[in-house]
Amino acid sequence: MRQLFVRFGPFFGLLLVVALFSVAAPDKFLSVYNLRTVAMQSTLVSLGALGMTFVVITGGIDLSIGAVVALVACASAALVRDGHSIWIASLVCVLLGAFCGLVNGALITRLAVAPFIVTLGTMGIARGTAKWLANDQQIAAEPGWLSDLVRNLPEPAWLMVGKAVWLVLLVAILLSFVLRRTVFGVHAIAIGSNEQAAALSGIKVSRTKWLVYMLCGACAGMCGLLQFGLLKSGVPTAAMGLELQVIAAVVIGGASLSGGQGSLLGALLGALMMQVLKNGCTLTNVPDHVQDVLIGVIIVGAVAIDRWRSR
Amino acid sequence: MRKPSSLVISSCLLWLCLAACTKSGAAGKPVIAVIPKGTLNEYWKSIHAGAEQAAKAAGVEIQWNGPQPEGDREAQIHLVQNFISAGVKGIVLAPIDERALAAVVAEAKAAGVPTVVIDSALAGDAHVAFIATDNRQGGELGGDHLAKLLDGKGKVLLLRFQQGSASTTAREAGFLTAMARYPGITIVSQEQYAGDTEKARQVAESLLIAQPDIDGVFCPNESTTHGFLLALQSAGKAGKVKFVGFDGSKPLADGLRSGYLHGIVLQDPVLMGRRGVEAMVAHLRGEPLVRVQTTDLVLATPENAQEKRVHELLEPDTSALK
Repeated sequence: MRQLFVRFGPFFGLLLVVALFSVAAPDKFLSVYNLRTVAMQSTLVSLGALGMTFVVITGGIDLSIGAVVALVACASAALVRDGHSIWIASLVCVLLGAFCGLVNGALITRLAVAPFIVTLGTMGIARGTAKWLANDQQIAAEPGWLSDLVRNLPEPAWLMVGKAVWLVLLVAILLSFVLRRTVFGVHAIAIGSNEQAAALSGIKVSRTKWLVYMLCGACAGMCGLLQFGLLKSGVPTAAMGLELQVIAAVVIGGASLSGGQGSLLGALLGALMMQVLKNGCTLTNVPDHVQDVLIGVIIVGAVAIDRWRSR
Repeated sequence: MRKPSSLVISSCLLWLCLAACTKSGAAGKPVIAVIPKGTLNEYWKSIHAGAEQAAKAAGVEIQWNGPQPEGDREAQIHLVQNFISAGVKGIVLAPIDERALAAVVAEAKAAGVPTVVIDSALAGDAHVAFIATDNRQGGELGGDHLAKLLDGKGKVLLLRFQQGSASTTAREAGFLTAMARYPGITIVSQEQYAGDTEKARQVAESLLIAQPDIDGVFCPNESTTHGFLLALQSAGKAGKVKFVGFDGSKPLADGLRSGYLHGIVLQDPVLMGRRGVEAMVAHLRGEPLVRVQTTDLVLATPENAQEKRVHELLEPDTSALK
């Protein structure tokens, strides 16, 4: 029973919130338009949460991803503005995100400084670079098919939800394969469970960490592209605090911040749950401050479950 | 199970909070969403008050919800979408970004929800009306007043607000246009940007050290004016430098009465909020609308500060808010 509960905790949580709003505002909440909207609204946090899950599993954290999202959005907008094709801009920018992650990983392993401190520093660096790149303004550019990705009503219509939602699902399936079925994934979990033991048994701890942070950075890079598509300009001050929402989603999804444990599906459900809560509160006219409190309660609740589980 | 699980406890709390907080909308009244750029500022409170006045008069209900944090484009996009889902009859929106909000307003139109845009411009033509201050004219009004105070000669300084902000950029441009009419006036600095009040104070302090002999100052919004006022006071120059600002608030009204500010260009946010909701109501009734409407500008000076109209704008009446 306990095992079952722990395993499906985030799922029950989401189900509960959905059920709640289905009762409170059935015709509004359960409309096709609304479900589609919520799914699309959660894509940025979901995508970030997929990468962050890997980082958290190794016992680390990445505070820089919100700033990296802004940096990538500005970089892609600048590239498109200067006449490069959107494909090129997208490719360069996912690589740029991965590069930011690489810097994080290198600093963390080489300097042997806590990830919290390192990424706090790179958060400032990335944010500042974004502002510098945008010349303290915003970079207006036409994002072409990137804005098609984040459109709520997809074309063709049989896709049902926006393309970005499908992108997130695709990335999630790919990454869950990586996490559960590859040596890299197993090593990441081993490092998070017991770093010393992992090192002693011959796992290349530093290299694995580099890759993990790169992966997280690449996910942030994709977020940045979606954001450019959404805002139709590179905004250096956007995605402030996104990292905290992402970490919250990962934690609600059942990851342990002390490492060794985490679920990609859980992280997606966590992100969705927070978005449903925000959406539902607007639909039922619950004031904004209540939403903040509720999300806080859910995070603490999720951590409480984490403690209960590990007892 | 031995212990009640935390999830169950959290869920119960959630239920209770929701049950306690859900405002039951008056049945039957059509609902109009009003979405500002933020909810913390006095300026938005005035817009809210105006919207409430109009809603009471027209027998509609308004739902007021702004993005948090203030100025977050994505949060504002999500709010518009959520209100479409909520089935509101119309949306009155002060768009944070001319480009970023255009797609979602078109989405609202496609879903049968019309939008009236207030305060700042929006790209595209999916909205039914646009109601705002003529910001350029506001800047010129302030500039002409400052030139009059200085008898058309002296060193003048402009502290800008923020790159990429359409309304204040227009005011700054208007101010510079006015200044160009007076050959005796030199602009000694116009390159600095300030942002919030605290940052404005710091930048202004540095500017006052760099330009110790300025004769006049213009600031294009509440936060820059407030910040510059604080800097002038701490430098002991308040009242000696001719100072014209923009927008009403309690500290600025006090500054005007104390003679530290020599003019404030005032918009009428209460009227803007009221006209926004009125326009939406008229549109829903099928009445024709003037597509672009401007709201009044008033110049407050130490001499006219006590006049009723000026006083109302200096310290707006927000009593319509519960």
